[in-house]
Amino acid sequence: MSIRTPAQLKSLGDDLWKNRPEKLNAELFILTYGALVVQLYKDFEDYGEVNKKLDKMGYNIGTRLIEDFLACTPSVARCADFRETGEVIAKVGFKSFLNIAPSVTHVSPTEFVLTLDENPLAEFAELPEDAVQGGLWFSNVLVGVLRGALEMIQIAATAEFISDTLRGDEATEIRVKLVRYLEEEAPEADE
Amino acid sequence: MSSSPSTATYHLFLLSPLDFPIYSTTLPSSRFPAPPPPSSAPSSSSAFAAYSSTAFSHHPSSSTSSLPSLAAFASPPAASAFGGMVQALVGGGSSSRLPEGETPTGVSGGTEDARRRTERHVPEMIAHAALDALEQAQFLSGAMYHKSIDCFNEWTVSAFITPGNIRFILLHEVKNDDGIRLFFAEVWETYLKHLLNPFYQLNSPITSAAFDARVRASAKKHL
Repeated sequence: MSIRTPAQLKSLGDDLWKNRPEKLNAELFILTYGALVVQLYKDFEDYGEVNKKLDKMGYNIGTRLIEDFLACTPSVARCADFRETGEVIAKVGFKSFLNIAPSVTHVSPTEFVLTLDENPLAEFAELPEDAVQGGLWFSNVLVGVLRGALEMIQIAATAEFISDTLRGDEATEIRVKLVRYLEEEAPEADE
Repeated sequence: MSSSPSTATYHLFLLSPLDFPIYSTTLPSSRFPAPPPPSSAPSSSSAFAAYSSTAFSHHPSSSTSSLPSLAAFASPPAASAFGGMVQALVGGGSSSRLPEGETPTGVSGGTEDARRRTERHVPEMIAHAALDALEQAQFLSGAMYHKSIDCFNEWTVSAFITPGNIRFILLHEVKNDDGIRLFFAEVWETYLKHLLNPFYQLNSPITSAAFDARVRASAKKHL
């Protein structure tokens, strides 16, 4: 039985989260991530660099995470199009790893926007003024994860934040755009 | 003060373990009216004389009688005579000796400023002076909440010490032990949440508007 409909995906996501054996204390995770971002800034002193590094870290995480994800979800059928990919990412991916359920807005057949109502990574953080002006995307690791994970399943895509409540915007949104489907080729070298 | 507020006010100071103030604010009370101003001008001015005598080395503390006479000169309440003194202090080294009777008028534009400056400095000074008493109490009892460890004129000082040795000092005119204790507990929680912000450096001044808003909301609820 292959799972396709949004409702099925949602319940699959919920189940995966519930049955995941090792969960981590949220505060510990949030504090660790926050300390990481602050340390990156102290090391590089440029918020643009910090964004890039977070993206790279996310990429490394994503390339490995996708294996875990696919192993846990044998019942999810191969996505027919990018639209479905977006649905699966939002309802199953985010749900099973972070226990959040972002909503998906399909802008076009090759682009969708994830809107996060709550962002556990940034739970306690408050950006200082120079971080906002320097253009820091606090949770930029997420865009790297998406990019890395999609690349391992032969989808070249770009992911980027377009708004973030930490910076005073209305909502936290990530835009994921399809570049092309990849033929079998060697993955990008880890740095 | 020439315009006394209609509700009691509180002054809250958060001090780091190095006695450096990391947050201070003035909160209006939502429950208590302002207590009557200090009844006897001489007694308050004698306290002010004690303060000013540390500032003025040529004002021996025994000359408290000089102050009521100064107040008589100026005829406004004792506080503004004090304010005038501070203004004279601040106004320049040359005016270190009080011009008799001219104090408020001679620096008319500055008196308001001086009063405001006085109002800001006196609570800070009181809070710091209370730290000694607080440290004594701190090592005698392990309690976090210390009520009424010190008084100065109409101000009573209560304190709360967090396990990380951050001191919350509250200056209050009215007695409200339970409310103050609940208020301290809430400020503690707000402070803890603020600590979790990875961008906040420990023991540095707190500038977050969210923190300020929460403290004011707690004050409205309990004080």
